[in-house]
Amino acid sequence: MIYLDNAATTAPDAAAVSAALAFYGQKFHNPSSLYGAGFEAHRAVQDARRSLLAHIAPAGGFELVFTASGSEADNQAIFSSVRRGNFVTTAGEHAAVYQSAKELERRGIEVRYARLHADGSVDGEDLLRLVDEHTSLVSVIHVNNETGAVNDIAALSAAVKKKNAKALFHSDGVQAFGKIPFSLPQSVDLYTVSAHKIGGVRGAAALIRKKGVPLHPLIFGGGQENGLRSGTENTFAIVQFAAAAEKKFSSLGRDLEHVRALNSAVRTGLDTGIFTILSAEDASPYIVSVAAKGLRGEVLLHMLDDAGVQVGTGSACSSKNRYSRVMLACGLGEALADGVLRISFCAQNTAEEAAEAVAIINRCAAQLKERTK
Amino acid sequence: MEKVIIIRYCEIHLKGKNRGYFEKVFMNNLEKSLSGIRHEIRKPSGRYVVENFDEARTDEIVARLQKVFGTHTLSIAYKVPATMDDIFAAVLAVAPEAGSFKVQANRADKHFPLNSMQINAEVGGRLLEARPALRVDVHAPQHLIGIDVRENGDALVFCGWIKAAGGMPVGTSGKGMLLLSGGIDSPVAGHMIAKRGMTIEALHFHSYPYTNRQAREKVEELAHILAGYTGGLDLHVVSVTHIQEAIHKYCPAEMMITLLRRFMMRIAERLCRQTGAQCIVTGESLGQVASQTIEGMTSSGSVVHELPILRPLVGFDKTEIVERAREIGTFETSILPYEDCCTVFLPKHPLIRPDLAKVAEQEKKLDVEALVAEAFASAELVEIHR
Repeated sequence: MIYLDNAATTAPDAAAVSAALAFYGQKFHNPSSLYGAGFEAHRAVQDARRSLLAHIAPAGGFELVFTASGSEADNQAIFSSVRRGNFVTTAGEHAAVYQSAKELERRGIEVRYARLHADGSVDGEDLLRLVDEHTSLVSVIHVNNETGAVNDIAALSAAVKKKNAKALFHSDGVQAFGKIPFSLPQSVDLYTVSAHKIGGVRGAAALIRKKGVPLHPLIFGGGQENGLRSGTENTFAIVQFAAAAEKKFSSLGRDLEHVRALNSAVRTGLDTGIFTILSAEDASPYIVSVAAKGLRGEVLLHMLDDAGVQVGTGSACSSKNRYSRVMLACGLGEALADGVLRISFCAQNTAEEAAEAVAIINRCAAQLKERTK
Repeated sequence: MEKVIIIRYCEIHLKGKNRGYFEKVFMNNLEKSLSGIRHEIRKPSGRYVVENFDEARTDEIVARLQKVFGTHTLSIAYKVPATMDDIFAAVLAVAPEAGSFKVQANRADKHFPLNSMQINAEVGGRLLEARPALRVDVHAPQHLIGIDVRENGDALVFCGWIKAAGGMPVGTSGKGMLLLSGGIDSPVAGHMIAKRGMTIEALHFHSYPYTNRQAREKVEELAHILAGYTGGLDLHVVSVTHIQEAIHKYCPAEMMITLLRRFMMRIAERLCRQTGAQCIVTGESLGQVASQTIEGMTSSGSVVHELPILRPLVGFDKTEIVERAREIGTFETSILPYEDCCTVFLPKHPLIRPDLAKVAEQEKKLDVEALVAEAFASAELVEIHR
């Protein structure tokens, strides 16, 4: 089986799992416990925190709050920051931000959605036009999870601050962290990262915040994470996250080149008579979205699954949510939006796998076209 | 005071010489419904009583028994020695604190010193004294307190009747093959037929890769809910992908559903022969969709030669079907949005009144026998347990 759905989740890094396994064994203790073993668990969490922060904010000035998922971190950033005024975001956000925005609307908060370019990146001018003196938060996804489009978070956040210095800036960096080179600038206040997109396990993620930026908890209780995220820490997942990230960051440039080659092989290898490449050339090489006009993405996905290739899709055999909201926001018509496949890589994918996958994808698409014409 | 559950049954008492048979099947079904829970079911005259069970699981036992077809009502009762003091102690345990009540005694043991009317009066009087906020209302009481004085020296005391599934014990009316889609109607049709005592097996058609795994999982979930009533269910899953592709390739688009349904019926009849099912059961309702016109039913029915097709919902409105689906607990699952017959092949304007001669003419373009045989060979059996 060739796994090309790494934007959905990645296989946990086995060495990182081994390194952390003791926290499911003899180091099982509660980090809040006051005896030695508890303190050791606490130390492990603190080490993981420092290590993760060093990758993304080497100059310092940021803190990190562990959460159980990227969605939770996004929710906390948004519900903590938007108490009044308006919330500016984009039409290309992950559901964790989009559905939070919808909930804010239900609570009577005005939400403004900036337009997307055809590749899924935000129209920066439109975003800035929407920001005014009443804007309390701006949230822009760093790397679009469907198209791989990279938003220039540093430039956008700086421009937002220039227009409204009080507005907070959040970015969901789940598809960027550990994949594309990036250090947090001072203009970004809140940033979401997640373990399981880079070889970590599910159950660990984090909201990174600039020191001094107000943040309120979503979950109240025992006061863990400085009162910002109560709940006994998932020490295994946190330690494994840090180990997986350590590995990813140490080979980030090399992996990027490798994945770029895989991406390019897919782009050039797919049958242009059937597929349109949706992702821009400058998108994150980890993601390439394509559309097969007239074919349904999920049907093709099933055929690929049977033929040994696992990919993602932007459409479903469902009467609800049939088309991807983000694809439609990119201006894609329904005929194309119906046939979207998302191919996403990890550093462990090989050139042979990419070549074989391309051949299988072309073959299955041609078959489906023939069977349904 | 021992807690027991009284089970009253429905139409079995109408049966004459074969009553014993109905009672035996019913008893088996009751036993099966409580498998995994410690219990004993006894059958004194005219009712069944569950005893010696884990009282902490009373709610679970009641919920399971409620679904056994043939069960009319249930009562949670206390079993006490048949003396007035013991009976009254149990009455205090079941009676409410306030509101109106009526006592309804039934004396099977004619040696008991008081007759039914006297028991009613005695217990009612004592209860009024003990609970001043209660009052008697013999016409429309809020609470009905039942006392059964049995011949074995016990009395059963309970307050209220719990409505159960009704109908006839499953297994007493033959076996049917239910065409189970993921929609709202077919589970209701299956429930209605099973309620009349029929054992049902289910047949689901999918068209993977055009439909997805979630759609099939949904059908398995629906079968699981039905199995809660029938005690278990064999679900046969058959792929019609190649049939749909062949129709798509060789026949007019508007005939897709008409022709597909004829294939489904052929496969169903063949499966009936294999499993011993004596009829095909569908969730069709007259005029509900294009394929459910009388012409559509004629077209699909005409390929079934030896078996009746039962359509219990034929005269139901959609709202009535939805109401039943909610009652039996299938509605929430049925409305999950997965397609069960992929729209990839669905025509914009399906044929509403198919002409049998024209349909047969189009069908000649297909190798019907080979397609049916291939689909039949794809059948998978999923045993759904209660």
